[in-house]
Order: sequence, then C-alpha cells, then structure tokens
Amino acid sequence: MRKRIRSWHVVLAGLVAMLAVPAAGVSKTSALPTKIGPGEGALKVMEWGQYTDPSFAKKFEQQTGCKIQRKDAGSSNEMFNIIHGGGNGYDLVSASGDASLRFIYAGDVVPVNVNLIPSWKDFLPAFKSPPHNTIKGVHYGVSLQWGPNTLIYNTKKVKPAPTSWSAIYSPKYKGKISVPNNPIQIADAALYLQKTKPSLGIKDPYELTKPQFDAAVTLLKKQKPLLLRYWLYPADDEKDFKTGDAFIGATWPLQTLTLQASKVPVKEIIPKEGVTGWADTWMLTKNAPHPNCAYRWMAYAATPQVQAKQALVFGETPVNPKACPYMNKIQKGSCAGYHLSAPAAYAKSIRFWKTPVKTCGWGGRTDCKDQQAWNNAWASITG
Amino acid sequence: MSQQVLQTDADVRCVGLTKRFGEVLAVDSVDLEVRRGEFFTMLGPSGSGKTTTLRLIAGFERPDEGRVELAGNDVSREPPYARNVNTVFQDYALFPHMTVLENVEYGLLVRRVRKDDRRRRAHAALEMVRLGGLAQRKPSQLSGGQRQRVALARAIVNQPRALLLDEPLGALDLKLRQQLQIELKQIQKELGMTFVYVTHDQEEALTMSDRIAVFNEGRVEQVGAPAEMYEHPRTEFVAGFIGTSNVLVRNGRTFTVRPEKIRVLPADAGEGEPGVVRAAVYLGAVTRYLVELEGGGELVALQQNLEVSSSDVHAMEGKRVRLAWRPDVEFAIKEGT
Amino acid sequence: MAVDAAREAGSFRGARLRLSSVLWRRPWLKLVVLLVPPVAAFVAVYAASLGAMLVSSFWTSDSFTAAIVHTWTLDQYRAIFSLSDPTYLRIAGRTIGMAAAVTVTDAILAFPLAFFMAKIAGRRTRSLLFVMVLLPLWSSYLVRIYSWTTILSKSGPLNWFLNGLGLPDAQLQFTNKAMWIVFSYVWLPFMILPIYAALERIPGSLLEASRDLGARGSRTFRSVILPLAFPGVVAGSIFTFSLTLGDYITPLLVGGPGSSLIGNIVSEQSASNLTFAAAYAMVPVGVMALYIALARRLGAFEAL
Repeated sequence: MRKRIRSWHVVLAGLVAMLAVPAAGVSKTSALPTKIGPGEGALKVMEWGQYTDPSFAKKFEQQTGCKIQRKDAGSSNEMFNIIHGGGNGYDLVSASGDASLRFIYAGDVVPVNVNLIPSWKDFLPAFKSPPHNTIKGVHYGVSLQWGPNTLIYNTKKVKPAPTSWSAIYSPKYKGKISVPNNPIQIADAALYLQKTKPSLGIKDPYELTKPQFDAAVTLLKKQKPLLLRYWLYPADDEKDFKTGDAFIGATWPLQTLTLQASKVPVKEIIPKEGVTGWADTWMLTKNAPHPNCAYRWMAYAATPQVQAKQALVFGETPVNPKACPYMNKIQKGSCAGYHLSAPAAYAKSIRFWKTPVKTCGWGGRTDCKDQQAWNNAWASITG
Repeated sequence: MSQQVLQTDADVRCVGLTKRFGEVLAVDSVDLEVRRGEFFTMLGPSGSGKTTTLRLIAGFERPDEGRVELAGNDVSREPPYARNVNTVFQDYALFPHMTVLENVEYGLLVRRVRKDDRRRRAHAALEMVRLGGLAQRKPSQLSGGQRQRVALARAIVNQPRALLLDEPLGALDLKLRQQLQIELKQIQKELGMTFVYVTHDQEEALTMSDRIAVFNEGRVEQVGAPAEMYEHPRTEFVAGFIGTSNVLVRNGRTFTVRPEKIRVLPADAGEGEPGVVRAAVYLGAVTRYLVELEGGGELVALQQNLEVSSSDVHAMEGKRVRLAWRPDVEFAIKEGT
Repeated sequence: MAVDAAREAGSFRGARLRLSSVLWRRPWLKLVVLLVPPVAAFVAVYAASLGAMLVSSFWTSDSFTAAIVHTWTLDQYRAIFSLSDPTYLRIAGRTIGMAAAVTVTDAILAFPLAFFMAKIAGRRTRSLLFVMVLLPLWSSYLVRIYSWTTILSKSGPLNWFLNGLGLPDAQLQFTNKAMWIVFSYVWLPFMILPIYAALERIPGSLLEASRDLGARGSRTFRSVILPLAFPGVVAGSIFTFSLTLGDYITPLLVGGPGSSLIGNIVSEQSASNLTFAAAYAMVPVGVMALYIALARRLGAFEAL
C-alpha cells in the first residue's frame, strides 16, 4: 500500500477487465524449475519507484542481457489491479505485505524455487519464510526489503521530544499532525491501544474483533480533527514538513532521510509502543513471459551489494544482513541507522503489514474484521 | 453652412451633430429639424451617416460635438432609456424568448404600467398593425412581414414623441415592401406621430415622406419635400440619387434634366442636340434610351411606347437621334459629387 | 499496357461514380454509412463500459481476493444508502454540495467576463482574453493544482500577501474551502466558453431594443440577456458540475481530513471491492441524469 511515484492515470483502468475473473484459489504447484535457463533478453516489472534503479540495475542488464522495462505503481491496489486484471506481460511485481497474500490467493503469482537464489540462505530468519509470502512451506516469491513506520517530528517545534504514539493522538499539536491516507493506519491505532488499553485484549493489530476494531476506529475518528491532513504521496508528506505546516506525524524512513538531507530539522523515532512495518517481496506472475530473466533478477537483487545499494537509494532495510558492510561503505553508520545490525529479534518485533482476513490467527475465531471492513471503516473515518 | 434652424414646434432637432469612429467622420455637423407629426426621411447611400444620425437621436451613440433635442430639451447626455423615442430596428430585434404580446408589452412593463392597462394597450397596438390573432406566437413562428409589424407595434405602443425607423422594410421583398409602405404611412397619419425614417431607397422616400433629407458622406446635402427634391435638386449628388443623374455642362453652366422630360426625335428633326443611341431598354410601358451626345455628355431619356413595338426599340440601338427638352426643365446645380 | 491502365483508371472512376450515384439516390444509405462507425464506437466504448459498470454494481466481491462473485445482490447499494452508517451518503452529499457550490461560483465569475468578451471588448482584447482563458488548459491540470497547494500553504504567497497587509493568516490549506477555490479555478474556462458562445449569439440590437424601450442595465440583464444566455449557463454548469462530481485529485492534494469525494472512494475501492466502486460510481451518473432532466424541464435545451 505504499505509494511512491505518482501514476495518476490508472484509476478505473481494468475496471471492466476485472469482470470475468475466474474463481480464486492458490494455484497448483506446478513443477518448479531446477535451474535457470538462458535469459530471454527482456524483463518487465511492476515496481515501487526506484526498485530497479539504474544505479544497480544497469550492471544486471549488462551481465544478463535482460533489458528491464519498468512501471512504477502508485499503490498496492494499483499493482493488484493491473496484475490481477491480466498482467499485461509483467514478469515480476514488488508486492508489499498487504498485497502479497491477495496475489497468492487470487492465483496471480506462482511458487518460486528459492534454491535458485543463492543469497536466500543468508537472509534474516524473519524473512526466509514470512507469513506474507510463504503458505504451508511454499514460497511465492523472494523477500526483498523492509522498513518500519516511524514517528517523525520537527525538533525545533516539538519539545520535549516524543517517546510515544500518544503524541499524534493528542490535541497539543492540533492542525500540525499528518498521517498516511491508508486503511492499514487502523493497525497503528490498534498497536497503540494494545499497549495503552490492555483491557481490549488486542493480540494482533491486523486481526481485530469487533470491540477491538471499534476502539481503534473511535481513536482515529477522534484524531481526525487534530490532523493537518492525510497524506497519500511521500512527496506531499515531505513538502508539509519542509514548509513547516506539519510538526509531527507518521512516516517512513525515506521521507525522514530526504528531509534531513535538505537540512529540515526533523528526527524519527520508534515509539515505545512499537511500530508497524512493511516488507516487500519480488513475486513471479503466473504468465510471466521472461521467467529466466525474472529468476536472474531475483537472485541479483538478493546479493549483499545490490541489497545495500537499493536500501540506501530507497531508504529501507535489506533482508540480507551481509549487506551491512557495503551499506557502511556507501554511507557511514547506515547499517545501524537502518537497524540491520540490530539483533534478529528486532525485525521480528515489527508488526509487518498483512491483509486483514476474517480468520483470526489467534484462538481460532472467525469474526475478525476483514480488508473490506477496514476499507469501509477507513472511508468513514477520513471521509 | 449651418443655417439658423427655425424655432417651430420641432419634435427632433440636431444641431451641429458630429460623430467620429476612429479616423472616419461618420456624421459631419448635421443640422436637422423634424416637425411635429411629420414623416421625415433620411435618405442616402450606405455609409452616408443617416443611420448613425438616427442612432445619435436614439441615444445608442454619443455625439462628439453638437446636440440632440427632443421636444426642445437637450437630451445629448441622456441614455436611450430616458429618451422619449422608440426605434424600429432593421433586423426587428424582437426578443425571441417572448411571445408577440410580451414583446409588445415590454416597454410598458419596464415603465411599470398596470397589467390590465398594459394588456389593453398592447392588444390595441397589435390590432392597429393587424396582428390581433397572433399575440401568443413566438417571433420564430412569424413571417418577415409579420415580424416587422410586431416591431412596429412594440414601438408605437409606448406613444413616443418620435418613432425612429432604421430601414425597417429593407429585408422584405418588393411586393410586401410596397404594401407595407402604404400601411406605415396610414398608421403614421392615424397616430399623428412623428416618424424619422432611414432608407437608401429613393422611391420609398418619395412615396412616404413629408420631407426628405439627403445624406452624403456624413453631411446633409439638401432638405425638402419630395417633389421639390426631385424637380429642383440643388447638387449633382441629389440629382443623381433621386432619379437618374442627367447632368450636362453647357456654356459653363451645369444643369440637370429629368429623363421623362426629354423627347427623342429623329436625326433629321429641326431641333434638339444630336447624339447616338448607345442602349435602348424596353420596359413595357416605356423605353429607356441612353444617348451619347455629340456636344459631350450622356443623357437618359424615357419615352412612352405609344406607337412602337419592342422590335422597333431594339432597332434603335446605334441610330443617330436628336434629344430635345424645354429650357424651363433645366435645373442648375452645384457641381461636385 | 498504357491503354489497359487508362481503362482501369476509367473503370475505377466509373465505379466511384456508380457508388456516389447509388448513395445520391438513397439518402438513408448515405446516413447509414456516415453514422454507423461513430454509433458503433459509442455503443462499444461508452455504453458498454457504462453497462458493465451498472451490471457489476449488482454483484459482490470476495473480500480477500477482490474477485467478483456473480450473485445478484443489492448489498452495494444498501451500503451506500445505509442510514446506520451514513459515511457514503455523507460523502455523496459533500460531493454534490461541492459541485453545486463550484458551479454557482463559476457561473457568477464567468458571466461578466464572458459578457465583456462577447459584447464589449474589441477584437484584439477579445483574442487576448481568449488566450488568457484557454492558456491554463495548455498546462497540466496537476501542475495547476500543485501550484495552488503552494499558494494556499501556511507559508505561501497568499498568507505572505495577507500578512503584508497586516491581516492574519488565512487558514485555507487542506480544507474544503481550499477545494472549493481550486475547483472553481480549474473548471472556470469550461463555464466561460459556453456562456460566451451563448452571449455572442445574442444580436446587439436586442440589447439596444431593450434600452430603447426604457429598460436600464439591470432590467435588460434580467429580462433579455439572462434568459437568452441561460442555455449557455446550463451547458457550462453541466461541465463544472460533472467534472467536480468525478474528480478525486483535488481532494487528495488540497483537501484535508474530511474532504473525500465520491471519486476518492471509487478510486480507493476499485481494486479491493470493484463492485462497490461500480455501485458508488453510479451515484454521479444518476445525479447527472437528474440534473440534465431538470435542466431540460427548465427549458435550457429549447434554444439549442
């Protein structure tokens, strides 16, 4: 659900194409490839902007002869829309956690043989077989990068420095708070309530029963009049902090880095309640016309040098800890800055985005609020 | 040039009226006086300033110099809606979204005349122009002649001090035009209303007017009754514009002779000026001859076809003839355009 | 060879002549040939997609995979018109209210300008004004909206100007008022042009006739200009109203919390719940149908 580069024109495209969708389900595991064949000379990817940045993709193109053709998606929904609506010949999609399960269950992506990705065995344990891309031991893709949703604030305007998410729910900074325009924001509220209102018994911020869900929605509705706005594009978020219109808010490390680079006095923290986060996966589409080039790219993207470069281009954290020295070489202290050198437990503590479903992962209940309920609730909060 | 205008009971007076459009001098110090109850025509070719003068009287244009008086009051600085005159426009300017009745009532409505009074007067005006049955039609459902009548009714219903008509019959065909000329004149007499009429059609002017002002290049060339204008044109332009220009210069004297006053005689006749027939046009009751005179100049002569047939007429072309007229039908004019 | 070629050319010309005379003899055939391609394109592109949208609005989507479930249901419409959770009614109401406010604003702003262009300005001034009205349309609509975010920003030119006059900040950015301003700005040309076209068709003599019959400016405006320009105002209002109804960019960029319009919800839901998006997208369609029916009843199309 992250939105990077603005692609405006794909709103209702595919609306009609979606009408004749076959019944959904996990596609049958066909025979996995056991080796990577020669490249087909081309690779078409649906990505978050800069995920195949030329600074590291050029070398790949020279090595493999696979010429990359890229489309930058504006949102997870847009990604899902296009790939699900027929794919348009895309080979790979850089799915985030809130879309990856949808791709899998809609049958739009196929299992991959992780043994063909040499760096996979070096990944942080949390990203080898994470629940957002691995079902019953079957890997539907290769983990890529991850990052936390952090609290950002203007160090000149916000004093004392905040330590808790309560800062964005408090009237103290009324009209100066900005949060993402994204239903998954309900999980952030739930995470905050999990710590501050234990009586609700929240176990997983993505698996909420009606009372838990209602409490989170109520919190967000109370937050609404305090907000400057809900931002949709990182550039807008950056602009608000740059102009001084926003003092504090929920953001991604990317914006913080960009703002700090342009000398805006901002700082980001992981509040004491913890954070939600995202984790992206390269997924292979079911009708990929260039599967060999796709495998070559997945393997290439997992290597430490490329992991390091991509992390610093985009402002996120590699899944391969061997990227650490390369990161420090490019930018001193960046490995620690992006928490890659933190204990493996750190990544495990982040509540990664996943699609809310009716089946609660805890206690065997089936009355949790699903994505649709989240969307509706988000509309009623923001609209 | 500007004469002292007599202090009569003038409904409309223009005094030294001048209007420029950029470089163009459209109206050049015009002095006019239109008497009460008079049918006054401003006649001239297009661009001669007659319509601009009418618009200055109505108030659609503001004079650069001079003034307009209505019933003795200077109205030069008053807007059209404050002037007690009404205009019949060349394109009728009927409001297309209103019925005939609403069009006619408009002026009364604007002046806050009570509704039943309004209705009564509007119907009376429509009766006068013989459109009583069409009150509920829209202008688009009417013929050209009917629209013209609505425009007339819409103006006279307000009982203006003077009615200004800007080539109101210009868009109609000849038959209808002739019929409406008579009707207009009748209505004018019946109402006793002052009409200021603009036209470029000399026949129309002669048919209807009490007096005519001939316009040329922004100036008034001559003002007078129709017969006077026709028989005693004071300038070559007037002579040419009213009737056919038959101008000759003989012995340093410029004069005009009307075509119907000229007799066409055989070449061996003992009187008249010799010449050659350049064209002979058979017009039914009369024939029009264009004769080039040996003494210089050309004359048009009209002859009744008393004893000649069309073939005789055609045989005349190229023949030598003599043209004769009585000296008392020569009218001296000023030379010039 | 040359003779053959000539005969061939002759027979080609002959065939063309035959064809054109066949068409001349049967005017209906000419009409068919002329109209079938555009009508077919209209049916295939407009009507079919609209029909698909209508049909899918009566289906439902799988809440996890977003796949469409082909069972007939009114659930989507129940959700939209739900009184227990009036979210979607509220957003529809806001959208319609915004469209109406923008339309009225644009009509008020556009009329004097269009009148000046059509009836008062000289040829050069008119061309200049035309260029100025159309110039914004040559640049991207996004760029223009973004520039408004800067203008309305707290530290932007507007507040800089107000502060210079000793006035307090205008608290406009990320509000519905800001949306109203920006919408009114971006759609203004679409109101000016039809009003201009309608005014231009009014002969100047009608205005003179009204003045001649004793009407002052305000009376002439009410009784002559406005009724005759009304179809142009309605045409313009159809543009401004429908463009506002369907927009979702302006709320994203200049709107604040609580500025979502129908378009935003359709955009957000189109991937995860297409059937709901389709049903909600029918709301503006229905509103426009009502609007046009009303305009028709008011006689706006009679003069067309």
